Amino acid sequence: MTAPTFFSPQWAAAVQDVLQAGPDDETRAGKLPEYWAFYEYVRDHYAASWALGVRDLPADLGGGTGYLRIEWAGGKVTDSRVLPDGEPVTATYVLDGAYADWKALYHGYDALRTVMYRKVVLQDGPLLEFFKGIYFFVECLALLASVGTQFPERAD
Amino acid sequence: MTEPKSPTAVLREGPRALSTEETAEIEGQNLQGIRDVDIDDVIEYVHQGLRQLPDFVTLYKKYLKQRWDVYDLDFTQDRIDWTEKMSEEERASFVGISSGFHHGERQVEIELPVFMIGASEEEKLHIAAQIEDEARHTVFFDRFYREVVGLDGEDMMAVLDKSFPYVQETFVGPFGLLAYQAEELRRNPYDERARVRYGTTYFLWIEGVLALSVMKVTLSYARWRGFLPAYYTGFTATCRDESRHVQGGMRYLQDAVRKDPTMLREIHQTLATILTLSGVASRRVYYEPLGWTEEEVRVLLIQQLRRKLNDVGISLSKELEDMLAMIQPVLAGG
Repeated sequence: MTAPTFFSPQWAAAVQDVLQAGPDDETRAGKLPEYWAFYEYVRDHYAASWALGVRDLPADLGGGTGYLRIEWAGGKVTDSRVLPDGEPVTATYVLDGAYADWKALYHGYDALRTVMYRKVVLQDGPLLEFFKGIYFFVECLALLASVGTQFPERAD
Repeated sequence: MTEPKSPTAVLREGPRALSTEETAEIEGQNLQGIRDVDIDDVIEYVHQGLRQLPDFVTLYKKYLKQRWDVYDLDFTQDRIDWTEKMSEEERASFVGISSGFHHGERQVEIELPVFMIGASEEEKLHIAAQIEDEARHTVFFDRFYREVVGLDGEDMMAVLDKSFPYVQETFVGPFGLLAYQAEELRRNPYDERARVRYGTTYFLWIEGVLALSVMKVTLSYARWRGFLPAYYTGFTATCRDESRHVQGGMRYLQDAVRKDPTMLREIHQTLATILTLSGVASRRVYYEPLGWTEEEVRVLLIQQLRRKLNDVGISLSKELEDMLAMIQPVLAGG
């Protein structure tokens, strides 16, 4: 089966599936149960949305800045879709990063350092509230990067 | 010769007051002399300055007298201690802690310049000096990892890449928060509320609580066992540098609250986020090979926070007091 193309509707659906499933057993075994209990607690109570922006998209992907909008409620991903051009970007937390940095994440760059090195930053939304769920967000970033994804040729 | 104190002795005995002569001795020591100074006394020296917070020009003058050359350190004996005298358990425990500093020093170096933009002219002198201190501390850990631990790399980032697997995932809590707060300031460098929130994370929590506590764990071990003399010397000198940073940071927060008492809310809200994140660990670190237990490190962290808050007159709400009882150590600092 061919992996979906980055920022396609199929890719957004695959992101929803992987976030819904959560980390696999191997990932869970690498960290303490109390860490995962915290993750589960945040996930179960998370009632917020993310608009994850990708700046400098290649022309093949529409160019400019695109957004993947993810909505959480009741411990589930209730929506995951690429916002069409012209739709207002509304979410509890609006973040963005350069296309090259998102691509690097997919090619193995660490999700923790993606945050710490400001490869993906919060552009809008209450920062202190966002950080109360940062471990959950970072795990989701790692999950998102685990989705088999195709990037267009000459996309850099 | 007196028997070296056990690493945790200060938790039982409590801090001792420094005489004027002892304070002058800590302040005036050159790099070689600082090797003989007890880390507990340097930490006490930090708090002594908090009770009568110096102004920024005084801190800058101290910096000019206290700066040291990181390339003067000779890690030859440290390498022998690391490879021939320390056990595998001691090395694993040590590197589990020092890696948080390796990355933490780099983070506090690169996230500080943005805070300088909105500072007073006098504070700018102090911050400029602090940025140079943090750069020197970053080089100190780069040298330690290359010359003692034995990690190699073409450049500093290559060595950081190699030590990153030892860093706890929860490092992203305080240090990711600092990065995002720096980004917030980059967009609005004169936003006083954002500056106070940033200052709470950087100066109060990362430097005042995490760094001073966790520094003590490795330094007390090195002094107690008589190992790693260059590490002890350089990192104790680093701790003395931190005294200026913490004092300057507490001065900034105290002034901000005196000028506008509603700023206390920004400090509390920032601490609420930090303490929420500090209630969980992602890995178990065994402190025992270094002479500590997890509970003792937790007591040390809480002690450090309370002393800073008491000394500068910042009170905690009931909610924050309850959260404080739950914190887990994050093994990092800057």
